[in-house]
Amino acid sequence: MKVTGSHLVPLDRARVYSMLQDPEVLAACMPGCEKLEKSGEDSYTMKMKMALAAISGQFDGKVSITDQNPPGSFRLLVEGTSKIGFMKGGGLLTLTTEGDATCVAYEGDVQVGGTLAAVGQRLIDATSKMMIKRFFEKLIAVQP
Amino acid sequence: MIAHPFDYLTPKSLPEALLLLADPDAKALAGGMSLIPMMKLRLAAPAKLVDLRGVPGLTSISEESGRLKIGALATHFDIESSRLVRAKCPLLAMAAAHIGDVQVRNMGTIGGSIAHADPAADYPAALQALEATISIAGVGGTRAVSAAEFFVDTFTTAVGPGELVVEVSVPVEAAGTGTSYQKCLQPASGFAIVGVAARLQAVSGNISMARIGVTGLSGCSFRANGVEALLESGSDPQAAAAAIANGIDANSDIHASAEYRLHLARVYAAKAIRAALAAAR
Amino acid sequence: MASVITEQEKLIGKGIKRKEDPRLITGTATYVDDMQLPGMHHACIVRSPYAAANIKSIDIKAALETPGVVAVYTGAAVKDVGPVPCGASLPGLRVPHHHILAQDRVYFVGHPVAVVVATDRYIARDGADLVEVDYDVLPAVADPEKALADGAPAVHPQWPDNVAFNFHQENGEVEKVFAEAEVVVKQRITSQRLIPSSMETRAVLAEYRSGEKALTIYSSSQIPHLLRTLVAGMLGVPEHKLRVVVPEVGGGFGSKLNVYAEEALMGWIAMKTGKPVKWIESRRENFLTTIHGRGHVDYYEIAAKKDGTITGIRLKLIQDLGAYHQLLTPAIPTLSVLMMPGLYRCQTICADIVGVFTNCVPTDAYRGAGRPEATHGIERMVDMLAAELKMDAAELRLKNFIQPGEFPFASATGLTYDSGDYAKPLKKALDIVNYMGLREQQRKARAEGRWMGIGMSTYGEICAFGPSPATPAGGWESASVRIEPSGKITVHTGVSPHGQGEETTFSQIVADELGVDFNDVVVLHGDTAIVQYGIGTFGSRGTAVGGTALYFALQELKAKIKRFGAMLLDTDSVVYEEGRCACRKTGNSVSLAEIAGASYRAMKLPPGTEPGMMATYFWEPPNFTFPFGAHIVVTEVDKETGVVTIQRYVAVDDCGKILNPLIVAGQVHGGVAQGIGQSLYEHGIYDDNGQLLTGEFMDYAIPKITMMPWIESEHTETPSPVNPLGVKGVGEAGTIGCSPAVVNSVVDALSPLGVRHLDMPLSPEKIWKVLQGGQA
Ligand SMILES: Cc1cc2nc3c(=O)[nH]c(=O)nc-3n(C[C@H](O)[C@H](O)[C@H](O)COP(=O)(O)OP(=O)(O)OC[C@H]3O[C@@H](n4cnc5c(N)ncnc54)[C@H](O)[C@@H]3O)c2cc1C
Repeated sequence: MKVTGSHLVPLDRARVYSMLQDPEVLAACMPGCEKLEKSGEDSYTMKMKMALAAISGQFDGKVSITDQNPPGSFRLLVEGTSKIGFMKGGGLLTLTTEGDATCVAYEGDVQVGGTLAAVGQRLIDATSKMMIKRFFEKLIAVQP
Repeated sequence: MIAHPFDYLTPKSLPEALLLLADPDAKALAGGMSLIPMMKLRLAAPAKLVDLRGVPGLTSISEESGRLKIGALATHFDIESSRLVRAKCPLLAMAAAHIGDVQVRNMGTIGGSIAHADPAADYPAALQALEATISIAGVGGTRAVSAAEFFVDTFTTAVGPGELVVEVSVPVEAAGTGTSYQKCLQPASGFAIVGVAARLQAVSGNISMARIGVTGLSGCSFRANGVEALLESGSDPQAAAAAIANGIDANSDIHASAEYRLHLARVYAAKAIRAALAAAR
Repeated sequence: MASVITEQEKLIGKGIKRKEDPRLITGTATYVDDMQLPGMHHACIVRSPYAAANIKSIDIKAALETPGVVAVYTGAAVKDVGPVPCGASLPGLRVPHHHILAQDRVYFVGHPVAVVVATDRYIARDGADLVEVDYDVLPAVADPEKALADGAPAVHPQWPDNVAFNFHQENGEVEKVFAEAEVVVKQRITSQRLIPSSMETRAVLAEYRSGEKALTIYSSSQIPHLLRTLVAGMLGVPEHKLRVVVPEVGGGFGSKLNVYAEEALMGWIAMKTGKPVKWIESRRENFLTTIHGRGHVDYYEIAAKKDGTITGIRLKLIQDLGAYHQLLTPAIPTLSVLMMPGLYRCQTICADIVGVFTNCVPTDAYRGAGRPEATHGIERMVDMLAAELKMDAAELRLKNFIQPGEFPFASATGLTYDSGDYAKPLKKALDIVNYMGLREQQRKARAEGRWMGIGMSTYGEICAFGPSPATPAGGWESASVRIEPSGKITVHTGVSPHGQGEETTFSQIVADELGVDFNDVVVLHGDTAIVQYGIGTFGSRGTAVGGTALYFALQELKAKIKRFGAMLLDTDSVVYEEGRCACRKTGNSVSLAEIAGASYRAMKLPPGTEPGMMATYFWEPPNFTFPFGAHIVVTEVDKETGVVTIQRYVAVDDCGKILNPLIVAGQVHGGVAQGIGQSLYEHGIYDDNGQLLTGEFMDYAIPKITMMPWIESEHTETPSPVNPLGVKGVGEAGTIGCSPAVVNSVVDALSPLGVRHLDMPLSPEKIWKVLQGGQA
C-alpha cells in the first residue's frame, strides 16, 4: 500500500535532517520503540511494542537509512516481525524549507503480512497514517 | 483461533474493577465483540480480563434533567430497542440499529464500542452530532469529556490507562429537531465505509442549528463544521453536503479508495441531511 | 417427525422434507470435532507467513519444553511420506513434489512448516507460537499474467517460466473460419479467485491401533474411498488396514473433493505417537490453505456471420494454479474447454490453456469447477456479439441453439450431449418476466434517467461425472441394499452426501421401488469399513450415478424377493406390489418382512438362490448428463453510488427428471447465492507479495441473506436417456447459470454509456468509476 503525506516541523532544514538521522531521536519518536541499537553503518536493530487499541505485539525489527542527500532527502526503511505478522515500511523523505519551518514529505510503501495483513485490511491505512503523525508530533516535542 | 492464556476476573463493584485495571496487563471486557476476536487471532493478549458485566448499575438508561444517561454496559440492542431512546434521542437508537447483526447487537456495548474507537464504528458519528458527554471513571474519580475531545484518533480516545467509560449522556431532542444516520455498508464486515449522522433544527425549512458527525471516512470520527456552517447559513443540502470532503485525508482500502470514499461521504451526507430535514417537519 | 406418507403413494417427484434436517438444525449431528477418543492429542500447524522463502532453520526447543507438548515435527521427519497426490494427468504436466510439510522452502502463505502435538488444543496452539522459524524471504509472484512475464520470480526454481502445462484442443478449420468471419468480437474476461467458505472447516482425527496395525482417519471429506486409497499410498499403510470415516460434513462445494497434507499428516502422527490426534482447521487456515476456486484470465474471440450464426470460438485460457497441484488442480480448466461451445451448434473451436504456477494456495474444484468459467465466457461473448450485431440477446441465442431433433449431439469438443430442448427454458423464462414488457419498462426507466438492465444466460453443464474413461479414478458408482430380517432396509451408497439430501431422495427411490415406508429405509455412507468401494459426491453425480446404481441394485433385489415369494406361496409366478408378493391365481400374498425373515432363516431356499436378502450393484454410466437452463436477471444501478440491486431473479432449470422439488429448489438457491457472491461481492485478493488480503470474513464478502434477491425458481423436465431415472443433476446449476446473467444485466443497464464488458465482482466502486466516464 502506498503512503504519502507531509508534516511541518518548526525547525530549520539542516537541523531536522540531522535529527532524523539520530538514532536517539528515532528511538524516542518511533511509536512503541523500546530499544534501538546500531548494527552497522546507518543500520540499527530495534525492539518495538505495538499497542493500538486491543492489538498488541512485540516486534523485532531493523531500521536502515540509505541514499542520504543532506539536507534534502534520504530513504528510510523500517521492518519488523512478530508472532502476529510482519510489517515493512520504506520510502523517500524529502525536506524542503518553508519559511522558518521544514516540510518533510514522504512517499513510500507499507507492506503487512501474516495475521495482521489478513484481518487489518480496512485499518492499515488509517493506522499507518496515525503512526506517522505520532512520529512527527514526538519529533516536534523532543527538540531541546 | 485460540487465545493466549489469561486470567478471568469478575469484579462486583466499580472501585474493585478500577483497582484490578490498575494492572497494565489487565484489560476490561464488556461485550467482547471487538476484544475476543482480537484475542482469538492473538493480536491482543491481555494477561487478565476484567469482566465488567458483573458491575452493577452500568446498564441503565434513564432521563435526567433534559438528558439521557446511558450506562456504558447498555448493549446496542438495549439502546436500539429502548422506548426512551427511540422517543427522546432517535439518532442514537438509529445508529445502534445499524451496528453489525443481531448477535453482535445483543452482546456489544456502547462503552466498549466507543472505548475501542474503531474508525468505522457507528456510534461515534452519532455522538459527535449529538455533542454527547462521556463520563470516564478512574481511581481518582470521574470526569466528563465532550465527544469531540473523546475521539482522539484511530483507536485512540481520551480514556487513559486503567480508566473506564461509565456513562454516555446525550440531549433529549427539542421539538423541531430532526435527525438521521445514513450508512454505507462494507459488504463483508458490515462496518461503515462511511456513516453520516445529521441533526438539524429547522423552522419552516430554515435550518437554525446543524450538527453533522462523520465516521469511516478518515482515521477518526469528526464533526463536519464546514457543512454545519453552510447549512446554518442557508445553503441547500446538496451543496452543503459537498463540503464534507473538504480537506479530509480519506482512508483507502480494498473496499473503497479514498476518492470513492470522499464521493460516498458527499452522497451519504446529502441523504442524512435530507432525511433529518424531513424528520424535523 | 411423523410422516403422513402412506405406502401406496409414489414419492418420486414429491417435495418431501429432508430426513437429514432435524439433526442438522437442532445441532445434534456428529461432526469430526464432536468426536472424542480416549487419550486423544491435538495438533496445531505452524505455517509460513511468507509466500516465498527459504527456511534457514527451525528451532523447536522452546515448544518441546512446554508442559503438555508431546511432540513437534518438521519437514525432515516426514520427508519420506508420499507427496500430496495430483490425480490429473496431462501431457507434459510439471508436478512439483508436494511434501506434507515444507522441506527447505515455502511456496505460499499458509504453507505448513511444522506441527505441534499436545495434550490439549490450547497447549498445541501456544506451542506453535514457540516454534522459531528463520526465513530468508524471496520475491514472490501472485498474479498469473505477471508470473508469465519475463523476469518474474520463479515459483519453483527448476521451472523459471512458471508454466506447469500447455494444453491445446481444436476442431474444424479455425484459421479459415476466423479469416472469413463477417464479424469477430474479442474480449478479455476474468473469473476471479474465490474462497469456498464451507461452514465447517476441514477437520481430521486419526487413530492407530498398534495391535491390529490398523489406522482410522476421520475426515470432513467428499471422497472417503479415494481418500483411503491415496492416503494409504502416501503413508505406506496397506489399504485394507486403513479405514476412512466421514461423519457429518458441514459443506464442501468441491473444496473437500481433495486429499490434503493434513489428512496424511494426522495419520502419520497417530502411528508415530500411538495416540489419537485431532486437527481442526481454523477459519484463518481455511482461507489460506484450503483450495480456492476459479482464477481464470480468458482471452475470447467469437466469429459469426452477419445474420448471427456463430461460426467459431477461440479461447486462450490462463489458469492460476497456485503453488502446487492439489487433487484435480490442472484438470479443472480442461473442463472449461469441454464446455466452451455452451448450448450452441458451433463446431469450430480452438482452445489453448496455459497453467501457471503462482505463490498462492492451489486452485481446484469449486462448485461448478471449470463450467461456471466457461459459461461466463461464452454467455458474455454471445451478449457482446448481440450488441455488435444490434440483435436481441434472446433471439441470437435461439438462432444458435442445438435443436431438439439433433440429440444425441456431438459437440465440437468431443462430448455427446444426451438430450435437450434449449429453447424451452429460455422461452419459459422470457414469458415469466414478460420480456417485451420488461424492455418497454427499461425504455421508460432510461427516459427517466435510471439505469435498469435485463440480462440472461442460457447454460449447459456436464454432470453426473462420469464415464470412467473420462475421469481420473473411475466414474461409476456403487450401491448395496440389504433388507434386514425385520423388513427394515439399509442402503449403503458409495456417494458421500454432505448437504445434497440423498438420504432423502434415495429413501424415496427405495420406497417407490419396494413399496415400503420411507421411514423404514436408512441410507448409510462415508465409512470405508461398512460401505463397498465408491467414488464420492462431486460434479452433480450423486443421484444421477449413485441413485442409478441404487436403482439397479433394487431391480436385482426385487428378482430375489420374487423368487422367495414364489417359493413361500408355492407358485411359479408372483407379482410384487406395494411391499407384498402375491399370487394372482390364488390371491395369496406374503409381506416383504415375511420374505426377508424367511430368506435369513433359510429353512428352504429357492433353487440356485443364496440365503439372505441383499444386492450390490456397481453402475458404469455410458455418458455424462447435460442439464441446461436459462436465468434472467433484472438489475438497477444506483447512479450516485454504483451499487447494483438485483430486482428480479428468474431461474428456469432443466435438470432432467425431478425426484424431489424441495431439494432441487434448495440446490438452486444455494447455487445462485454463490453465483451472486462471485458476480457482486467475492474476490480472493492476493497482494503483489502473495499476502492474502481477504483472509477473514471481515474482508471477504459472501452474500448474507439480506443481500439475496427473491429467487423465482422454475423448471422444464427433459429426461436424460443416460440413466433409467431420467435425472441429470442440479448441484451446480445455480452457480453456473448465475454469474453471466447478472453481469449481462448490469452491462445491459450501462450499455447506453458504451459499456460492453465488466469483470467480476461488480463492486460499487468499479461501477461508479464507469459512471464517471472512466474505464472498467
Ligand atoms: C461481526 C461484527 C460486526 C460488527 N459490525 C459493527 C458495525 O457495523 N458497526 C460498529 O460500530 N461496530 C461493529 N462491530 C463492533 C461492535 O460494535 C463491538 O461490540 C464494539 O465495537 C465493542 O463493544 P464491546 O462491548 O463488545 O467491547 P469489548 O470487545 O468487550 O471491548 C472493546 C475494547 O474496549 C475496552 N472496553 C470495553 N468496555 C469499556 C469501558 N466501559 N471503558 C473502557 N474501556 C472499555 C476493552 O478493554 C477493549 O479494549 C462489529 C463486531 C462484530 C464482531
